[in-house]
Amino acid sequence: MTGGQVVPFGDQALLAILGNEVDEALNAWVHTLVTAVLRERDAGVPWGRPVPAYASLLVPYDIHRLSLAAARGRLEALVQLAAETTPTMSPNLSVTELPVRYGGAFGSDLEEVARRVGLDEAHVVELHASVTYRVFMLGFVPGFAYLGPLPAALELPRRSEPRPRVPVGSVAIAGRQTGVYPSATPGGWHLIGTTEATLWDPTALRPSLLQAGQLVRFVPQLD
Amino acid sequence: MTDAPVLAVLEPGLLTTVQDLGRPDAAPLGVPRAGACDQLALAAANLLVGNQPGAAALEISLLGPVLEVLRGCLVGLTGADFESVSLDRSTDEPPLRLSPGRSYALSRNATLRFGVARDGARGYLAIEGGIAVPDVLGSAATLLSAGLGGTAGRPLREGDHLDAHQPPLADGRLSPRVWPGPGPSSGVPISGPEVALRVVRGPHADLLGDAAWRQLLSTAWHVDPRSNRMGVRLTPSDRDTSNAHESMDRATAATPPAPELVSLPMTWGAVQLPPGGCPICLLVDHPTVGGYPVIAVVAAVDLPTLGQLRPSHRVHFQPMELTDAQAELIRQGAAMGEAARRLGLAEPGNRVAGRTGRTTSV
Repeated sequence: MTGGQVVPFGDQALLAILGNEVDEALNAWVHTLVTAVLRERDAGVPWGRPVPAYASLLVPYDIHRLSLAAARGRLEALVQLAAETTPTMSPNLSVTELPVRYGGAFGSDLEEVARRVGLDEAHVVELHASVTYRVFMLGFVPGFAYLGPLPAALELPRRSEPRPRVPVGSVAIAGRQTGVYPSATPGGWHLIGTTEATLWDPTALRPSLLQAGQLVRFVPQLD
Repeated sequence: MTDAPVLAVLEPGLLTTVQDLGRPDAAPLGVPRAGACDQLALAAANLLVGNQPGAAALEISLLGPVLEVLRGCLVGLTGADFESVSLDRSTDEPPLRLSPGRSYALSRNATLRFGVARDGARGYLAIEGGIAVPDVLGSAATLLSAGLGGTAGRPLREGDHLDAHQPPLADGRLSPRVWPGPGPSSGVPISGPEVALRVVRGPHADLLGDAAWRQLLSTAWHVDPRSNRMGVRLTPSDRDTSNAHESMDRATAATPPAPELVSLPMTWGAVQLPPGGCPICLLVDHPTVGGYPVIAVVAAVDLPTLGQLRPSHRVHFQPMELTDAQAELIRQGAAMGEAARRLGLAEPGNRVAGRTGRTTSV
C-alpha cells in the first residue's frame, strides 16, 4: 500500500486520501486506519469520530488541543503504520448472512438484469449469492451499506430513472456494488431481491445491522 | 423534573422543527448530523433562558408559526427577525413586539405569532427547561430525510403540542434578559444583501485548478431558492448572469476536467463543485458521503452565517488561512463563554435544563 496523503478538510478535520478506487485492499487499509485512530483516541489523543468511505477517511480533531501541523503529522504516521499492518486477507471476520427472496414480486428488476447481462435469472442469483462481500462504507441514508465487489458479469450502470420509492429491504445492484435499502427511500439501483432482515432500527442498541469493514453473504431463500 | 405541555401549534409555518446540536458522531452509520443550521443562535437562545447551550429548541424557517402558550414560561428568541408579536387576549395590552437577542416572559393563553423573516433564513425559540422530545441516537434533533428525531421525524403540524422540561419550582423564575455579548447572538448577516463567507482551500482545490479557484472568489453568487437544510445552492448572480456565464465557460474550458471521484466523506461547510459549475455549500442535513469535488470549506466561524443565507443574499467567498480560521473559531467560542458568564451561567449545569445534544458512542 503506497501513496496515502493527509490533507485538511476544513478547519476542524483532516482527510486521509488513500486512493480513488472501489478496491478491497484499499478499503481494508481504510479500516485498519480507523482501528488505529480509535486506539489513539481511547488513549487520549483528541481525535473525533472517524468517518470511512471507499478509499478515504475523515478524521476530526479538537483544535484546542492539537495544532494542524501536529494532527497532520500524527495521522500521516498512522496512515503508514496502517499500510504496513493491513492484512491481505480477513480470515477471522464473522460473516453476516442475509436471507433473500430473489426475483418475481421480490425483485422486480431481476428479469431485466438477466436479459441485459445475457444470463438466465437463476445464474444471476447464483452469481450474486456466491460472493462474500465487504462492507465498504455506510452512507447515502442511515444504515445503507455499500457492498462489493459484485462479480463483473453482473455489472450494469444505474437505472436511468431512479424510483421515487423502493420497498424496504430491497436487495439491489449497480456497477460493481450491491446493497440493501434499509428504508423506503428513492433508489436508482436494480432491485433483484428482498430480505426480511432489519437493516436499520434507530431505537435498537445497535441501530445498524451492518458496519463498515464487516463481511456479508446473501442466502437465497426458496419458498 | 417533569415535562409539561407548553406550546400548541395553531399554524406550523413553512418549516418549523425541533433541533439541538445534532448527532456529530453518527456519520459512520450514514446518519446526517442534523441539528440547528445556526448553532450560535441556538446556543444563545438557550443561554438567554438559563438552558444548557445545546438544549432542544425550535428552528423556524422563512415563514414562522403561530403558537399558543399553554403555561407561563420564559422564552429566548434569536436569529432572523420574523417581526414576531405576542398577544395576550386576556389583557387590554397591545401586542408585544418580540426582537431577536432577548428572552421574554410569556403568560398562559398568549398567542405567539411569527411573520416573515427579513434579514436571515432561520430563527430560534428556546423555552426555559428545554423542549422535551424522545432522544433518538442521543439527540433531540429532527432528521427530515430519514424521518427520525424531534417530533416524530417531521416538521411541526397544526394541532401539535410541545412539552418542555419544567425546572424545579425551588429555583424560581429567571428574569427576561438581553443578549449581553461580547459577540453576536446569531449568524444573521448585518452587512445587508452582500455577504462575505470565509473559506479555506478544499481537498480538491488543487485538482480543480487555479482558474476554478479564482472563479469561485471573484463571482457574486446568488442563493438559489432550491436551497434547504441539506445545502445552500449558489448560482451566478442575476445581475451578472451573462458575464458570469461567459467567464465560467472560459474558466471551465481552461480547467482540465476533474477526474471522477469515488464517494468520500463529506462535512458541513464543504463547498462542492459539480460539473455544471454552480457550487453547493453543505449544511447540517447533508448526506454523509458524496462524489462531487470539494473546492473549498467554509470556515467554521462562518457556519452560523451560512445557516442564515436566504435567496435575497449574494455571497462573496473570501480566502482564509486555515490557522487564522482556527484562531477565529477559538475566539468565537471564548466570546460565547463570556456571554454565558455574564448571563449568570458561570458554571453551566447549575440550572439543569434540557439536554446538551451530546451523542452517545455509536
